[in-house]
Amino acid sequence: MTEKENCILEVQNLSKVFDADTEREKEVLKNVNLNVDRNEFLCMLGPSGCGKTTLLRCIAGFESYEGKVLVNGMERKQPGIDRVMVFQDFNQLFPWKTVEKNIQYPLKINGIRDKAELKQRTQEVLDKVRLSGHEKYYPYQLSGGMKQRVAIAKALALKPEIILMDEPFAALDAMTRRELQEELLRISMEEKCTFIFITHNIQEAIVLGTRIMVLAEGGRIVEDEKNVIARPVTPASQGYGEIWERMHNALYQ
Amino acid sequence: MKKKSIIKLAALCMSSVLLFAGCGKSGQGTEETGGEGKEAAGQEVTLNLAYQYGIAYAPLGIIKEQKLIEKAYEEATGGKVTVNWNQMSSGADINTGISGGSLDGGFMGVGPAVTGVTKGVGYKIFTNLSGQEHGLMTNDENIKSFDDLIGSSNQIALVNIGSIQHIILGLALEKAGKDPHSLDSNLVAMAHPDGMTALESGNVSCHLTSSPYIFQEREESNLHEISDVTEVWGKDDSFIVGVASVKLHDENPKLYQALCDAVKQAVDFINDSPEEAAEITCEFDGNSAEDELAYIKKSKYSVETSRIFELASFMGRTEFIDTTPESYEDLVFDNVTGD
Amino acid sequence: MDEKKRKIQAIVARTLFIIAILCIWEIVAKSGIMGSNSELIFPPLEAIGAAFIRNFQTGMAGVSLWVYIGNSMALLLEGLLIGIVLAFVLSGLSMLSRVFYDIFNLVISICDLLPGVALLPVVIIIFGVKPGVIVFLVIHAVLWPMARNVLDGFLAVPRIYVEAGMNIGLKKSSLLLGVYLPAATSYIVSGLKVGWARAWRGLISAEMIFGVASCPGIGLFINQMRTNMNNAEMYATLIVIIIIGLVVQYGVLSPIEKCTVKKWGMSR
Repeated sequence: MTEKENCILEVQNLSKVFDADTEREKEVLKNVNLNVDRNEFLCMLGPSGCGKTTLLRCIAGFESYEGKVLVNGMERKQPGIDRVMVFQDFNQLFPWKTVEKNIQYPLKINGIRDKAELKQRTQEVLDKVRLSGHEKYYPYQLSGGMKQRVAIAKALALKPEIILMDEPFAALDAMTRRELQEELLRISMEEKCTFIFITHNIQEAIVLGTRIMVLAEGGRIVEDEKNVIARPVTPASQGYGEIWERMHNALYQ
Repeated sequence: MKKKSIIKLAALCMSSVLLFAGCGKSGQGTEETGGEGKEAAGQEVTLNLAYQYGIAYAPLGIIKEQKLIEKAYEEATGGKVTVNWNQMSSGADINTGISGGSLDGGFMGVGPAVTGVTKGVGYKIFTNLSGQEHGLMTNDENIKSFDDLIGSSNQIALVNIGSIQHIILGLALEKAGKDPHSLDSNLVAMAHPDGMTALESGNVSCHLTSSPYIFQEREESNLHEISDVTEVWGKDDSFIVGVASVKLHDENPKLYQALCDAVKQAVDFINDSPEEAAEITCEFDGNSAEDELAYIKKSKYSVETSRIFELASFMGRTEFIDTTPESYEDLVFDNVTGD
Repeated sequence: MDEKKRKIQAIVARTLFIIAILCIWEIVAKSGIMGSNSELIFPPLEAIGAAFIRNFQTGMAGVSLWVYIGNSMALLLEGLLIGIVLAFVLSGLSMLSRVFYDIFNLVISICDLLPGVALLPVVIIIFGVKPGVIVFLVIHAVLWPMARNVLDGFLAVPRIYVEAGMNIGLKKSSLLLGVYLPAATSYIVSGLKVGWARAWRGLISAEMIFGVASCPGIGLFINQMRTNMNNAEMYATLIVIIIIGLVVQYGVLSPIEKCTVKKWGMSR
């Protein structure tokens, strides 16, 4: 019973076919079953084309599929603010709005009209991503890393149940990437929020995840384990090498 | 860097000036073969004429078909002339063409012709061509005279503000003792067929038009005519005239004479044997031979002008034109007869 | 500093260009190389200048050119406004309904090809002989290029913006207003530019052919001056038309561009 309650996301027998009934028909996801616990930071590793992004998009409600996605036991088919997505693309911010407006606009749409509250929430999330003072900037004036920080802030401001992240740091340079990983780790430890994080990068998965999963062709789960290494994780941490080895083998088997 | 680009620009400007000047010169070159054509026998000359469309221009179809200008010129000089006929859509276009030197003459309504002469375009009237019936038709049985129109919101369609139809309306108003411009704010400028459509569909209440539209409108039972306009300027009065550049008249009198003779022959032909003429000109006009004949019989073709000085004086007096001609001779070359 | 230098350079180049054009004009007018009566067709600049002043002082039939401009602008504004609103509404509906899109796309392709002036007879029968006919032709001139641009703009909105919009709870019409519309701004601005130019030209050519004397506009004025061989006055009126066009371009359209796509770093 408690286990059931602790489960925030259930994916049941999820299948997805691209270009159905054509020559190019491809079954990307085949009967995927997945349970995610509350406040878990789930990192999904997988080779290109294994369907991990598609799985995330199905959870977010951007794709049609067969099977079920349940959030808190309720079926979800459309996008909603209980599952907010942070994309890899830097252009996910609206270029016609300032940083501040980009964060406040989703709140306004979802019924928060009180000016003081908007202001306060904006401040709070910008502080969390260390971007205070950039309220009035337009997205084109920000670097890629800063844009991703704003995107994370925007997601946090909505206080969703789950934040879905599709390789948000993949297009960043190594230094910025390391920096943002640290920020995200800190935020994930402070926030009461569930993360599902897709990455190619084993190091990233071990640093961020409390649970790590490796997907193969068709969304088949080939490895799924809790990450028990004490945080913050560095390559020198106890057990890092072993877990890295296991993930690497699962990934390139 | 900056200096260089300015020099470049200046060079560009200079070269474009030269280019323009060059164009001007070459334009002049071609013109020489036109009005200025050499008198020497056997020399080939060119005559550029403009005309407009309609039954009022029927004699031109004869001239073109029977090559009357070419024949007359060859008889007089033994030389050859090439005649280029250009169909244009308004007297204003022809005026521009003649003043620019690309046309040696043309045929147009007496209104724009008077405007052109008094404006100093450099031409005069060399012949009358035809007269037509004009009339003011209405679809509103309550409109019986000008009194029912002046000050009302009734709209009168005619082909153009300042056109011969507009001037005739002014003449008729003056004759009825009204201000010739008292209906100006009721006017709507529309091409003849559009005006007819608008009248028939009730979108305007009056239409001042000329043949052949006036004949078609008269046949419709729900339309009636306000006779003041019909009476003030009829088919016996000048409607279409021919104009020739002063240059053609002065520098190539034989070609000028051939042009006058050709028009005279065509007008005589159309008056003497209208059936035969209709067979020829119906193709020119795109009518059936039957209709063409009927329209020709309702028109008057003559080389003698009628009341054009009276009309020009009226236009000057009522500010349709800026300069009033002092005499009939100001308007026409000395070979022209009439008033 | 470099920016400023470039600006000055542009101004110098443009001024020189205009002076050169005017010089060419004056040479052509004075030399008589375009025929003996060339001053009738190419009046010298001082004659055009005098006519410019005369247009506003005495005008035509005792009515100053201002009145004609006023009449034209009123009709133009009415047509532009209706045309632009219609373009937005119809393009918006096309994004919400696939069937509507298919039909509207065809309608744009057909109507954009029809010269407004050729529609005059039909328009007169439907609407009657009123200044409204001119308004209709202005709408015709602005609606199709505008709608084409808006629609193209909507279709070119990057998928990421749409998903980011759906992500935060936008649906159908709120997605249209909140994402598609601002994301298509650069297309909309270029649609405005094309639409305005077409409407301005369409208005004048319509007025030249179809003149309502009770509500006379600039087109009628030009036509009159042409008929009466008052070419200096005609050119002076053309200059007025150019000035109005430039005022709208630099006084209205450029600022709109500056406040939107340029400010957002979105200019194409």
